[in-house]
Amino acid sequence: MKIRTRIFAVVGLVIAAAFLQALIVVNVEERRSAAAAALDRAIWRLQSQADLGRLIVELDASQRAADAGGPAVPPAERDRFWALYERSAALLPEYLDTPESKRQLAAIDALMREWRAAPAGSDRAALMGRIRGEFDRFETRERSRLGDERIKVSSQSLQSTLLTLGIPAVAIIMLLGLVAFVARILLDPLKSISTSARRISAGTFDVSLPPESNDELGDLSRAFREMITAVQRRQQEVTEARIKAERDHRRLQATIETVPVALVIVDADTGRIALQNRTAAALIGQEPEGEAARQAHWRAFSVTTRDGAPVDVRAWGAGRLLQGQTIMGEELVVKHADGREIPLLVSAAPLREDDGRISGAVAAFQDITSLYEVDRLKSEFVSIVSHELRTPLTSIKGALQLLIEDQVASDPDHTMLLNVALSNTERLVRIINDILDISKIEAGKLELNARPHAVDEVVRQSLQNVEPIAHGALVALKLEIEPAVPAVRVDLDRAIQVLVNLLSNALKVAPPRSDVTLSVRRAADGFVAFSVTDRGKGIAPDKLGLLFQKFQQLDGANTRKARGTGLGLAIVKALVEMQGGQVSVESTVGHGSTFTVTVPAARTVASSQ
Amino acid sequence: MKLLLAEDEPDVQLIARLALKKAGFTVVTVGNGVEVLQRVADERPDAILLDWMMPDMDGYETCRRLKADPATAAIPVIFLTARVQEAEVARAIALGAAGCIGKPFDALTLGTQVLELLQRT
Repeated sequence: MKIRTRIFAVVGLVIAAAFLQALIVVNVEERRSAAAAALDRAIWRLQSQADLGRLIVELDASQRAADAGGPAVPPAERDRFWALYERSAALLPEYLDTPESKRQLAAIDALMREWRAAPAGSDRAALMGRIRGEFDRFETRERSRLGDERIKVSSQSLQSTLLTLGIPAVAIIMLLGLVAFVARILLDPLKSISTSARRISAGTFDVSLPPESNDELGDLSRAFREMITAVQRRQQEVTEARIKAERDHRRLQATIETVPVALVIVDADTGRIALQNRTAAALIGQEPEGEAARQAHWRAFSVTTRDGAPVDVRAWGAGRLLQGQTIMGEELVVKHADGREIPLLVSAAPLREDDGRISGAVAAFQDITSLYEVDRLKSEFVSIVSHELRTPLTSIKGALQLLIEDQVASDPDHTMLLNVALSNTERLVRIINDILDISKIEAGKLELNARPHAVDEVVRQSLQNVEPIAHGALVALKLEIEPAVPAVRVDLDRAIQVLVNLLSNALKVAPPRSDVTLSVRRAADGFVAFSVTDRGKGIAPDKLGLLFQKFQQLDGANTRKARGTGLGLAIVKALVEMQGGQVSVESTVGHGSTFTVTVPAARTVASSQ
Repeated sequence: MKLLLAEDEPDVQLIARLALKKAGFTVVTVGNGVEVLQRVADERPDAILLDWMMPDMDGYETCRRLKADPATAAIPVIFLTARVQEAEVARAIALGAAGCIGKPFDALTLGTQVLELLQRT
């Protein structure tokens, strides 16, 4: 049963009891007042009885006097007494309560009427004696009844008094009972639950709860138990999460300490190193406490780019990382005061809080001294091997050239074979030259001697160089030079190499009896543009981006004819860019391509054009 | 016209000799700078071709000595060198050399190049 129902029931019971008590009180009071009224009536009755008795005595006395012939009572007086007696006798029954009393009185009245009507000389005295005897008995009995009434009234009064005192007492007892009941079914369980709650707050889950009765408290108890389970589970989860986080942290810590990469986490607010691993400490040392010491620490080494340009490492990092940029694989060189120079590959990323605010940055520095060394060894190796290859190839080439020139072979097939050997040797020499160029360019060892040269000087030598190829390919070379084009500031040999490369490529793809055009014109910002245009098949747009990468050769019908090293355009691009110019290409499939290089104009030397 | 050719690599020496002979030169060959200095008085060449890099005595040192000796100072010297950098050429000219020819040389044009350089001086 629900507690609400139980409380309603108990309170209802109490109210009903109180109501019952009130009814009892009312009832008792009624009876008491009825008894009191009866007493009043009894008193009245006694008085009327007494009056009636006196009248009977008067009537008897006056009759006896008349009979005795003594001083007679006037008849009128006697009639008046009689009238009074009749009235009294008629009134008295109204105060009589019992039929028996009324019957006795009626009997007495009948005897009286008989007495009055008795003729003179009859024994009235005897009759009167009977009457008075009857009346005495009547009176005696009524008197005793009055006594009964009195006892009844006083007993009623006692009852009433007892009730008046008793009812509040009962009410108080019932209220106390009610309170005790509420306490038992409501307050005790609540107290038990609040005690349990305190114990749980203190971390003890071993608590006793009220039994899970089928009421509101039972619900509360159940809910409480579920809450305890949930809290326990939550606590378990938190504990597990903490254990996992600690394990992850230890793993991460071990990883950070183990990797051969220097890791540094910098706090954005203080600008100080929040965390660094052993590798980092070995590289840049431990950042000391104290501002002055820290300044000295950071001045103990300098940082430059690979080209030697000085870098303020803090500004370099803060300026970009705190703006949210990520730095991927940039090269820096740390120079220590003791002369050590450590090339570093730097990657760094901002660290963000949950709200997206950048709170710092993590940077990874990889010591690439060994990579530099490997790179250097590779360049050296390539260089040495190429030189060593070139010398015997030169001998082979020279020998073949001399043999062919002297027409030593009597059989035309032999001449052809000698030509095959020569052309392949020449190709091998070109490949080696290209590899040497690329390795020099990549090692930064290619030296350029840029000087002012007239455009036609560059152009003439380039065209001369490719004239035999054009002749063989039945392609016409056209030259278009814009009037008054300025001289250019270039390394002559390298400029010729660039143009020869572009012209040879154009001649390879140009169909027979088409034109390859070399045009020279002013370009923007003090540059001169050299363009080589062919009427070949053109290059697909998706291939254009690959053109200037190393070892890229375009597929197609001309592949065999166009065999090169795959390095030509990469070298062209590097050579042009090293001289401050740019390379670009435009191509329409089916219509041909135009390669354009720009080189700086020489302002001091006038063009011969 | 008589040329004294100093080249330590026998194959290169052979090709150069044949190429120059084909171009009409009389060629005397030696393997290093020391031999050049030993033979120059006897052979009296019209010009000397020196490989820049040779064992015992390299081309640079040989040229310096040739130019230092009044008896041989007048003989034009041409370098055969893999390093045709401007700085190297300038060093050679400063020593009194007639010029440089890049290695690897072209067998068919070697004679022409020698003639061009000799005519220039």
